[in-house]
Amino acid sequence: MVLSKTRRFAALLLIALAIFAPWAAKADGNKPRRIVSLNLCADELVLRLADRERIAAVTWLSRDPNNTNVVDLAADVPINHGLAEEIVPLDPDLVIAGTHTTRTAVALLKRAGFPLIELGVPRTLDEVRVQIRTVANAVGEPERGERLIADMDIRLAALPRVAPGKRLRALVLNPNGFTAGADSLVDKIITAAGLENLAPRLGVGNYGHVPLETVVTSRPDVLILNDRRDGPPSLATVLLQHPALAGLADHAVLAVLPARLWNCGGPGVIEAIERLSRIASRSTSARAGE
Amino acid sequence: MMSEISATRTAARAPALSYGALVILLAAVVVVLLAASLSIGYAPLDLQKAITDAIAGKSTLEAIVLMELRLPRAALGGLVGFSLGMSGAAMQGLMRNPLAEPGIIGVSGAAAFGAVTSFYFGLAGAASLALPFGGIAGAFLATLLLFALAGRGVGTMTLILAGVAINSFTGALTSLALNLSPNPYAVSEIVFWLMGSFADRSLPYVWLVLPLMLTGWGLLLASGPALDGLTLGEDTAKSLGFDLKRLRFQLVGGAALAVGSSVAVTGAIGFVGLVVPHLLRPLVGHRPGRLLLVSGFGGAILTLAADISVRLLPIRPELKLGVVTAIIGAPFLFRLIYRLRGAE
Repeated sequence: MVLSKTRRFAALLLIALAIFAPWAAKADGNKPRRIVSLNLCADELVLRLADRERIAAVTWLSRDPNNTNVVDLAADVPINHGLAEEIVPLDPDLVIAGTHTTRTAVALLKRAGFPLIELGVPRTLDEVRVQIRTVANAVGEPERGERLIADMDIRLAALPRVAPGKRLRALVLNPNGFTAGADSLVDKIITAAGLENLAPRLGVGNYGHVPLETVVTSRPDVLILNDRRDGPPSLATVLLQHPALAGLADHAVLAVLPARLWNCGGPGVIEAIERLSRIASRSTSARAGE
Repeated sequence: MMSEISATRTAARAPALSYGALVILLAAVVVVLLAASLSIGYAPLDLQKAITDAIAGKSTLEAIVLMELRLPRAALGGLVGFSLGMSGAAMQGLMRNPLAEPGIIGVSGAAAFGAVTSFYFGLAGAASLALPFGGIAGAFLATLLLFALAGRGVGTMTLILAGVAINSFTGALTSLALNLSPNPYAVSEIVFWLMGSFADRSLPYVWLVLPLMLTGWGLLLASGPALDGLTLGEDTAKSLGFDLKRLRFQLVGGAALAVGSSVAVTGAIGFVGLVVPHLLRPLVGHRPGRLLLVSGFGGAILTLAADISVRLLPIRPELKLGVVTAIIGAPFLFRLIYRLRGAE
């Protein structure tokens, strides 16, 4: 995979940050003991990489099995709602936040001098790997990070290869009619699964809206619905149950992918890739049999 | 219904166009706009093939786009516009005030609150009757409250203030309900309920609200003769044999059915009930009974045209419909207030 210059720079910056961060340089006995995560995606990495007794709090979002792949690990960890008032009394020696969430709390905790790292939103699988290493180093568990990455790579290598000319065309439909374009991790997930993302042809850059009419007439072979069927009622998800999409079933495979697998650029995306890859091979062989 | 109304008509002040010709003309424009709404969309569509396939019952992509996406959108545009236009005319007749419009006086806002409550707290599935009933209950309560507060020809100021109170109260309650609902999209969905949109609505919604709207229209049209009588004053209307209590209940109920079920499926679209009766009133000789039917068609025309324009404007995701109707309607409101200012 070819990284663009800015991406490579960002990746190097993240690695440098992880290496030179003071808490990462601590001796083994000095691993952070009161880790707080302020972000759903950071939750998963912290819960997978650090021992339970060293985690002081994760977000309340990780208690919902629809949101996260690690609800079991989060079950007995105290929760926070991303408010600085909740975090300060925990006296954390490492705070992990997202670059786009809980900005007020992050600014306050920085001012108060708590050690804090911020995680961006990965747009490639390489950036996912970099992020896992960053968090693994920060929590003082670099070997566990490498094991997690190695496991991802083994599973990726086991997937069947599909030649670019033989790929089925896929389109992602998120609640509210949004789809993911070329500049997104979801695009990399689709490509890694041996499918071709239709969204760039519809002029979608990173994340954009597509009218249902365009969804139907763009003739996708696989329509990937990001769905929470048992979630609370919302207009955003009612859209995914529109009769026009049900009518597409004669023309395309409707694949429902749980949001928790690809909400975050974490290890969960591998399961998303595997599921899509199975759907792709099934429909390719079904077509060959016609 | 039509003949019943026509029977009460004798020589009206003769506008340039006779009442019958006006109705036929407006209905023809509605038909043209419905056809335009079906043929305009986001994807190029072979309309002929789509119609042939749809009639043959083949679910080709063309047929899906036509039947599942464009048809419900056009149908709701017509139905909701008709409901809002006619309800505006009826409320103006009932309160004898040209500013009585479902959006301005808070009836649409209350309907949105009713629909939101039943939708987000699991009372209504994707398309069940609880949704329009929530909207109708909200609209009914707000209309009753308004009538108690500001009914029967009180000053415009009182009516508008009552509307401001109901609007801000129900708007706050709608936001509150959405904030309390366990729904990650709540913030963006507040906009839908407050501004309205026909985007990506489906055919089941049409079947859901059609009988309720038709009942509402029937109630409103049936009160036409009494509304005409009411222009002569309450005592004269009574002496002409009109039961005013029944009339009020009929109008409040009819408007609540029409507005409530509209708002429940498309959100609150403002100003249609203000602009349309205002423009058409001189054409029917200022008779509130005659204004009902023509305002219905006029409302359908305005709403369909606005909905076609949001699809033609190069803004994505498309504008909410209420934005367009407000841009058209707000200047009318200013003008009306400016003129009424001198009268009070």
